[in-house]
Amino acid sequence: MLQSRDGDVEAYNHLVSRWEKRVYNYLLRLVRDPEDSLDLSQDVFLKAYQSLRRLEDPARFSAWLFRIAHNEAFSLLRKRRPETELADQAPPSPPAAKMLPVETSLAVASALNRLSEDQREAVILKMYQGFKFEEIAGILECPVSTVKSRVYTALDLLKETLAPIETRGDA
Amino acid sequence: MSCSEFDLKGYFLEELPGEERAQVEAHLPACQECREELARLRLTDAAMMTLRDEEIPQRIAFVSDKVFEPAWWQRLWQSAPRLGFASAAMLAAAIFVHAFTRPAPVIAPSGVETAEVERMIEREVARRLDTAVAEAVAAAETRNEERTAGLLQAAAEQFEMQRQADLLTVQESFDYLRKQMNVSYMASAYQEASQ
Repeated sequence: MLQSRDGDVEAYNHLVSRWEKRVYNYLLRLVRDPEDSLDLSQDVFLKAYQSLRRLEDPARFSAWLFRIAHNEAFSLLRKRRPETELADQAPPSPPAAKMLPVETSLAVASALNRLSEDQREAVILKMYQGFKFEEIAGILECPVSTVKSRVYTALDLLKETLAPIETRGDA
Repeated sequence: MSCSEFDLKGYFLEELPGEERAQVEAHLPACQECREELARLRLTDAAMMTLRDEEIPQRIAFVSDKVFEPAWWQRLWQSAPRLGFASAAMLAAAIFVHAFTRPAPVIAPSGVETAEVERMIEREVARRLDTAVAEAVAAAETRNEERTAGLLQAAAEQFEMQRQADLLTVQESFDYLRKQMNVSYMASAYQEASQ
């Protein structure tokens, strides 16, 4: 990390290989397009390299990197917002209890797509990327309470689809 | 549904401080609703984890391109210790170059000293010229004496050879004359005896 900050390209390559998959999947779940996600990943790592010297605390590299990724993703989402809003109107998937694993993953993808962008991003950063609320607040530049609210609301919505309350006759 | 006084989602997401976490753990065995809610959260999490990370279709390798590497001066400029060292090195180099490129001080000689130096040079040149001429003359004289001595010796040897030859001729002439005289004497003596 320190070597990368001093302009060591090889060290930065190691850093990229360590983080590229996580960044790509974060962007993929957010923008939902592989090509866009790859392009955004390239941009994220280029911008990170160019501004790496401004990172004062190397321990906060991951949050700082995802902050850049967040900005890139929402820059793209703002450009194509009408399309996203149409996609958000997809019908809900059936309950996960009756699905095969492949169907479950499709249901998860569908359930994530029905969340708002803010909720989806918050839950991705929490559930898939494992950041703490405070770190997510730093990435999104919003209060911890906002992050908490978005994650909790997203969890309730996901839970309705993926782990519905079993009623009498369901088995 | 769950008991509103406990933050089950915070507990599930491991965001609660130790004291609140302990309170939830103490509450759960006694509350069926909270246990069911927690089970749903875990089921949701398990379902979400079926959505696995995808491999990135193309490695991000643009940073290996040389054009993204900072120039040497950029690296130098961005490193305070290196910049300090470089400044000191440049200062030392400047002093070194100045010391070697500064023109030597020129002392203008006075007119009197110049004339004296010229006289000294002339005297030295004349002394060395005289010495050279004397040495050349001496060498020539030596060579002439040697040549004369050689010629004289050759003439003396030739004269001696001629004298020896003349003496031999005189000796032979004298011997011939004495033989003739002996023949004449014997002939005269025979005639006298026969008469």
